[in-house]
Amino acid sequence: MKQKTQVADIDRSLYDFRFDEDENDFLDSGITPEIIGEISDEKGDPDWMREFRLKSLEIYNRTKMVEWGASIEGLDIDNIVTYIRPKSRMNTDWDNVPDDIKNTFEKLGIPQAERESLAGVGAQYDSELVYHNVREEVAQSGVVYTDLESAMHDPKYADIIKSHFMKLVPPTDHKFAALHGAVWSGGSFVYVPKNVHLDIPLQSYFRLNAKGAGQFEHTLIILEEGAYLHFIEGCSAPKYYEAGLHAGCVELYVGKGATLRYSTIENWSKNMYNLNTKRALVQENGRIEWVSGSFGSHVSYLYPMSILNGRGASAEFTGITFAGEGQDLDTGAKIVHNAPDTSSYMNTKSISKSGGKSTFRSAVTVNEKAVGSKSSVNCESLMLDNISRSDTVPVIVTKTDKCDIGHEAKIGRISDGAIFYLMSRGLSEEEARAMIVRGFADNVSKELPLEYAVEMNNLIGLEMHGSVG
Amino acid sequence: MANTKLNILPVPTFASLGVNYTERDISEYEIKDVTVSDDDNKEIVQYIISDTITNITVDTNVSSKLIQIFDGSSQTASRLNVTLADNARLDLVQLYLGGDLVSEIVTELKGGRSAFTADIAYDLGAGEGLDLNLVANHYGRKSSSEISVNGVLREDAKKTFKGTIDFKNGAAGSVGSEKEEVILMSEKAVNKTVPVILCDEEDVMGNHGATIGRIDERHIFYMKSRGIPEEKIYELMARSKLMKAIRLIDDKQTKIKIYETLGWGDENE
Repeated sequence: MKQKTQVADIDRSLYDFRFDEDENDFLDSGITPEIIGEISDEKGDPDWMREFRLKSLEIYNRTKMVEWGASIEGLDIDNIVTYIRPKSRMNTDWDNVPDDIKNTFEKLGIPQAERESLAGVGAQYDSELVYHNVREEVAQSGVVYTDLESAMHDPKYADIIKSHFMKLVPPTDHKFAALHGAVWSGGSFVYVPKNVHLDIPLQSYFRLNAKGAGQFEHTLIILEEGAYLHFIEGCSAPKYYEAGLHAGCVELYVGKGATLRYSTIENWSKNMYNLNTKRALVQENGRIEWVSGSFGSHVSYLYPMSILNGRGASAEFTGITFAGEGQDLDTGAKIVHNAPDTSSYMNTKSISKSGGKSTFRSAVTVNEKAVGSKSSVNCESLMLDNISRSDTVPVIVTKTDKCDIGHEAKIGRISDGAIFYLMSRGLSEEEARAMIVRGFADNVSKELPLEYAVEMNNLIGLEMHGSVG
Repeated sequence: MANTKLNILPVPTFASLGVNYTERDISEYEIKDVTVSDDDNKEIVQYIISDTITNITVDTNVSSKLIQIFDGSSQTASRLNVTLADNARLDLVQLYLGGDLVSEIVTELKGGRSAFTADIAYDLGAGEGLDLNLVANHYGRKSSSEISVNGVLREDAKKTFKGTIDFKNGAAGSVGSEKEEVILMSEKAVNKTVPVILCDEEDVMGNHGATIGRIDERHIFYMKSRGIPEEKIYELMARSKLMKAIRLIDDKQTKIKIYETLGWGDENE
């Protein structure tokens, strides 16, 4: 009997370990002014931040849920623990990190990656960073890489944080931006001075270990004129039956002629709701490059946004989404052309299997001042069986005639013709299929950091059972 | 009279873009029901000058062509509901020659091997607008849809085209494609393009493409080198967008009327 080719799900055994938590460290679940006040007390917030949190809570309470996208009915915010007290203060030496937390990051390969290929590492466990370190030579070049709260309390950076925090993504942006403004904790602050090029990347890793909890880290990166940075963000959590929530926020300021490459591999467990907001503001001749892999979580809403505000600014978005059983991944990107001669390129791939649903959603807006701008969007979706679903919902808005906009999209299955051709060259049908699926994802995987590309290729390991049905 | 939500996008998206629906104050629709069976005239011509709902059913093994012309200068809302039986085919030609228009086309490709083509063209000028929502629902096996939308926006004209190809589960072997080309001839014109593909079936092929902007500089250079002034080049390109659709009309009298509306002498002028 013929059987369908099977594409394996992500091997989650790497991520599905967990350690017991002391529930005395948990604040009460839900979101009330009292809980927000407790978070401020725990963190010693300055007055402006204390007020900001309470104002955000007001906005959260009056803001409606969005009326589009994946269902989040299974998420009851009143059952989510928004803050867990850290077991230790932040360290710059792994030996001082509590053993179970250190073991967690050892299993995830973070200290090893730091030794071999990173300029600095931040590691967040539940609500707070437990480790942050940057190489001496990098620090000497003037690069600042620290946790956001330390920066907020440091007189050298306090004003910068106050003038940039949630200015790109205001709490009024949407309901979960308001939630983030109210309960945020953890996250990184990066500052790269004028004309400093970091040749090796910085990486922050976010691990949510507690069940029924949320993670609300805030990442703020500022690149001055002519600077270069590659920042890698990774995230994972063990699987629980209770819903978990990730509502982080990323704000990126890319200066004149600067380039920021922001790579993310999102591998949350399938009980997680990933409602994350990312936004970059790019000045004259600056460039933002997003590389985004969405493999985990039960439901995702993720659309990194690039605002091209200076003449000649550019954005590139490369993304892959793999929706398997029980997953509804709504991903894509937004680009706003606000200045002359700006350009953008979006290239995405999505794969749906085993009843998973993948939605590509995008918005390219070319405003009146963006004369001479160019944009190209390309999205391709691959359906691997008949019980899955794949949708593409792109929008293009142009408000000037002096622009050049192109869009292409394709949805389909593996071509019988391509299989036939490869078989005529001596490959078995199984090998041909595996090659085609890997080839489909190749132009995305080659943009990923090496260790993540290997992880993604493992993910697209094909399990072949007989011939194709 | 309260406004009615029209042209609802089958899968809503970011509300700030203003493409999820449009609103109109509609008092009454004129309703036209047409069933095309084997003995009928195959080309139907319809001028839409008031708010109209047209329901057209094409029977098994029958092919038909529907021409809809919107040449009014007032606000008009139109909805076209198409149902296609097994092996039925409808070729739709729509021309939007002015006005402030809301138009919806919902095609149910119910039958196996049913086929739907749409060739749509528009030429909109100062104060004019078009909100066009086309939905092709593929239910039948090996059904096909091919949608082509071409147009020109002048002055402060506004146009939204929402084109959805929806492959329902069971529509195995179906194919759908849509493409749009928009020429913008004014810095005040606003264009919105929303090409959606929804896929609940593995064995299908869907694609869409869109090109928006000014005329390719290489084309302009070539035509200038042949002695054609730049303004004339833009007019020629604009006319070619409309002619793609007009050429598909068989009835000569209809063509003459369209040329009169456009102020053209004839198609060879």
